[in-house]
Amino acid sequence: MTPLAQVLLDGLFTGASFALMAAGLALILGVVKVVNLSHGAFFTLGAYVAYVLDDRGVGNPFAAVFMAAVIAFAFGVFLGRSFINPVRSHPFSVAVGSLGFAILFEQAAQMIWGPHPISIDLGDPWVALGGVTLRRWGVASFLLSLGLLGGLAFFLSSPWGLPLKLVAEDEEIAGSVGMDVEKIRYLTFGAASAIAAVAGALLAPAIAISPTMGRVPLILSLIVVIASGMEKVWNIFFLAVGLGLLSNLSAYLLAPHWSYLLLLAVICLLLVLRPTGLSATVRGRDY
Amino acid sequence: MKKPGISPYGRIPGALAAAAGVLLLLPLAGLDAYFLNVLTVGFLLAVFAGSWDIAGGLAGQISLGHALFFGTATYTCALLTSLAGLPFPLAAVAALLLSVAAGAAVGVLSAPLKGPFVALLTLALGEAAHEFFLGQTFFSPRGAYSWGGEGGIPVLLRLQPLSPWTAYYAALAFLCFATWAMLRIARSEEGLIWTAISGSELSARASGVDILRHKRRAYVVGAALAGAAGVGFAACVGRATADDFSLELSFQAATFAAVGGRGTIVGPVLAALVLHSLLQGTGIPPAGRVLTYALALLLTLRFFPGGVVGALRERARSRRMVQAKGEAL
Repeated sequence: MTPLAQVLLDGLFTGASFALMAAGLALILGVVKVVNLSHGAFFTLGAYVAYVLDDRGVGNPFAAVFMAAVIAFAFGVFLGRSFINPVRSHPFSVAVGSLGFAILFEQAAQMIWGPHPISIDLGDPWVALGGVTLRRWGVASFLLSLGLLGGLAFFLSSPWGLPLKLVAEDEEIAGSVGMDVEKIRYLTFGAASAIAAVAGALLAPAIAISPTMGRVPLILSLIVVIASGMEKVWNIFFLAVGLGLLSNLSAYLLAPHWSYLLLLAVICLLLVLRPTGLSATVRGRDY
Repeated sequence: MKKPGISPYGRIPGALAAAAGVLLLLPLAGLDAYFLNVLTVGFLLAVFAGSWDIAGGLAGQISLGHALFFGTATYTCALLTSLAGLPFPLAAVAALLLSVAAGAAVGVLSAPLKGPFVALLTLALGEAAHEFFLGQTFFSPRGAYSWGGEGGIPVLLRLQPLSPWTAYYAALAFLCFATWAMLRIARSEEGLIWTAISGSELSARASGVDILRHKRRAYVVGAALAGAAGVGFAACVGRATADDFSLELSFQAATFAAVGGRGTIVGPVLAALVLHSLLQGTGIPPAGRVLTYALALLLTLRFFPGGVVGALRERARSRRMVQAKGEAL
């Protein structure tokens, strides 16, 4: 069953990058306390940045990751500062507005790069072990995702992560000890968006790039965030890798569009079975 | 005491009557078939936006999967007329019943959820339906080609093709009737309960309202109206595609409602009509149209959270308060 081993390996690699994206979403949910539906758009943005760079002959994944992170950070800070922060106490405005931003980006991408899926050359196989091929980009993306996740976990547990944790815990106390809560919020939003774009840039060669490609990872990260919390980064990692394996396996065993359907079924089940499961995370407000 | 001339809804009824008069007159003023068609689809979209406002605006449920009910209706019409060979009226009845069933199902699932989680669940349900029908093909009985997905399934009307005039006036009559019905519902006791739930679920529950049952009812009523709009759309366009389930369509309904004024029925209906006719009439490609909707939505949510009608109503209210103060002095 060599193809199966290959599918599992690819699932592990993509799952690691999805974990990165989910960690960003969890950060937004924890610190800004909004359910952000525009996270998938930043993933798509990262993938298109990688595509454009590859198209211009810059094949280095690190260049793509860096560019994607900078651009997404700028857009994320803008969105967080000028839209999410002012409306964040209205659940309707946040949900529909962040979805609106995602759709705005999807339509813009469709106008610039066309509606049809495009792809990046994966590069030559690096190592072939008994029929399972490892590619340079895949290994680099896996290691970089792991490294960034570890960095995030370290950051959150270090003294520098305290402001974020305090804003997440109690914004009034954070404000009264002299922290600029609004600034921490929009910077977190920007950083989390940059993380999503990094995940998109890392996964660009592995999946077809299309304007609506961000929806699958968005749903996957939402599942991860609903099922786990903000602090435990490694829970997020294992859940995302599990879901990545599940979606790759179902695409391999059934048909490609079943992996998205399966993820949607999982999130529906999760929400229906645990209607109050998440309100512990987004607490303190009367919806 | 109520003063003559100032209804709680301001000058809205008069403006509505004037708008209906203009729309009745337009075809006689020599509008060509293309614009008639744009307006006909606009009327149906307006009903769709209004139906979103029942569960989404009045009852305050952030629904992002409203296209599910619309697509259920168009697909039922297409499958029953083209594959099963039923006459269109029978298929239309079945389509309405199925949309109501879909509304009841979505209502049962999402009634216990709150705030953003309603948005997530309805979004996931709508996306699941879209993804399923995008991949699902049906064998056409005539010829060896397949129907479904992006290409769609034809809807057989078995009449001579509708003239643009007939379709226009039928859709306009449907819009007027549906708007009247939705306004009646909004001002009924049920509508009042929905508004209370939207304001605060806790206080509605404290005053003895079974909020789950009333939320489910809101979904059913909204789904029935969306289904009616879908039947009209199927008859008018003659084809049901997977796009009828798309997130873009659900998003448009929420956008029209947010821009027009959530929970006002009239606002979403007018916003849908105006935005659709303006952007479709000027021939902007679909991607640019949805992009413009998204921009309008973000700007409205940021600067006029109540939408156009909400902002007007707020202004009228503050003016009345100033007047009342002046009289008291």
